[in-house]
Amino acid sequence: MSYAERPPPVTTDYDTAGFWAAASEKKLAVRTCSDCGQSLHMPKAYCHSCGGWETEWKVVPPTATLYTWTTTERELRAGFKPPYTIVCVEVDEAPGVRMVGYLPGRPHLKVGMAMHARFEPTADGTLLPQWYPTP
Amino acid sequence: MKQGEYSHQDKCGIAGVGWTKFSKNSGRSVLSLATEASLNAIRDAGLQPDDIDGIVRCDFDVVAHNDLANSLNLSNLTYWGYSGAGGAAPAGMVAQAIGAILSGQAKTVLAFRSLNGRSGFRLGKGRTQASSGAIGGNGSYEEFFVPFGMVSPGQVWAMLAQRHMHQFGTKPEDLGHIAVTSRERANSNPNAQMHGRTMTLDDYLASPMISSPLRLADYCLETDGACALVVTSAERAADTAKPPVLIRAVAQGAVTGIQPGMVGPVLSRPDPMTLPSVNIAKTLYARAGLGPQDIDVAQLYDCFTITVLVQFEDYGFCARGEGGPFAASGAIKMGGSLPINTSGGNLSEGYIHGMSHIVEGVLQLRGESTSQVEGAETCLVTSGLPVATGAMILRRGS
Ligand SMILES: [Zn+2]
Repeated sequence: MSYAERPPPVTTDYDTAGFWAAASEKKLAVRTCSDCGQSLHMPKAYCHSCGGWETEWKVVPPTATLYTWTTTERELRAGFKPPYTIVCVEVDEAPGVRMVGYLPGRPHLKVGMAMHARFEPTADGTLLPQWYPTP
Repeated sequence: MKQGEYSHQDKCGIAGVGWTKFSKNSGRSVLSLATEASLNAIRDAGLQPDDIDGIVRCDFDVVAHNDLANSLNLSNLTYWGYSGAGGAAPAGMVAQAIGAILSGQAKTVLAFRSLNGRSGFRLGKGRTQASSGAIGGNGSYEEFFVPFGMVSPGQVWAMLAQRHMHQFGTKPEDLGHIAVTSRERANSNPNAQMHGRTMTLDDYLASPMISSPLRLADYCLETDGACALVVTSAERAADTAKPPVLIRAVAQGAVTGIQPGMVGPVLSRPDPMTLPSVNIAKTLYARAGLGPQDIDVAQLYDCFTITVLVQFEDYGFCARGEGGPFAASGAIKMGGSLPINTSGGNLSEGYIHGMSHIVEGVLQLRGESTSQVEGAETCLVTSGLPVATGAMILRRGS
């Protein structure tokens, strides 16, 4: 089965592990500066905005807006049978923070539409936030 | 330029260019390809291998400076360096060569790019294609992309194209005009991989979708081959075999919130649609003392058609959002105000990761192009996006 060939994410990186720890509890977390509130995504330890090193994993509602997407019609890597769609969403309560998600097939999408995350296991059981159109 | 400020304007030139056959399966090592392209460039300049005392390379290249120095039997190597990432390297390589020459660390620098991009490591399948097990970490941030099926630069550019269409009303036909124009130039270039294959706008629209809205014809080729350049001081360049081509100016640049890693994190920039080329254009034109109206011909990095379209805007050939209409206007064809990618580019000549663009720029200014722009005196040459990158303006010497 092709699904089993999907590569799981590394979940132990110093800078990004908290994202996956939150996802394992079905929560969406954005690394955020404790001093000034700057979102630090892609996750990192140093705040470029205020120079602080104190950060936290701020849990935000798993709702977002569709920024752009693409439907891939060729097999690029084992485990992802075409056609499939990659969405890029902007998290509602963390402006400017964008994430990608996988949708099977060729769903009907429109830039600006409301999206929400479901936490779904990949091949090794790691939960990934996957983004779906909100009806 | 302010009084007393240092400038590299016209102080170095490209004295020689060399290349190999471009193919789908070279049947040779990348070291052999790099050696052949380098020997051709050195010979083109009327120099000997021992005249080379510096080497600069691309960070993605398998061939290291010492590999090539050994192959060419160089005995005078005093400088080496590398630039990147990937297709962004060529302008940076030239910038480093200039830095080495003007600071007295080298006199004559060889820059090269060699790859078996089709028969060997295929960049379009993503950098982690050979990895098994968990993906990401160590600053790559691939854990946020590959597990979701986003593995290839083409998917990122497809998303940027989708967004450009949404924001500005850009049409598939606008991208098609770029693909068709590049193909026309390749049809005149015997070394182009698409030399014998014509393409109309209808052919373009019938081309299979790969990652919507990008079709196969929006993608660059995958190529085995190599290109090389010899950079030296303007004085030395004037003494070499071919008409001198001067580096009017070179510039590298990024954007605020550039993001780490390779292409995926670009989507998390404050504005993914504002690319480094916006800032590079300002720096480059200021350093050159020239503007878009002074550019006679351009070799614009074209991993995808959309990459070219955004650069029309970023380098000031049209207003922001007007890249589509500009592409469709005929300006980019032979006889237009800005003929582009006159060898066929990455899209239709071959994908040598931006190095062939510099080679073609030099040929244009010597009057040796297979699609010669009459009287061309200046050529804009850009390197790969959307990562931090660079560009240069070449001009005909006297
Ligand atoms: Zn802060």
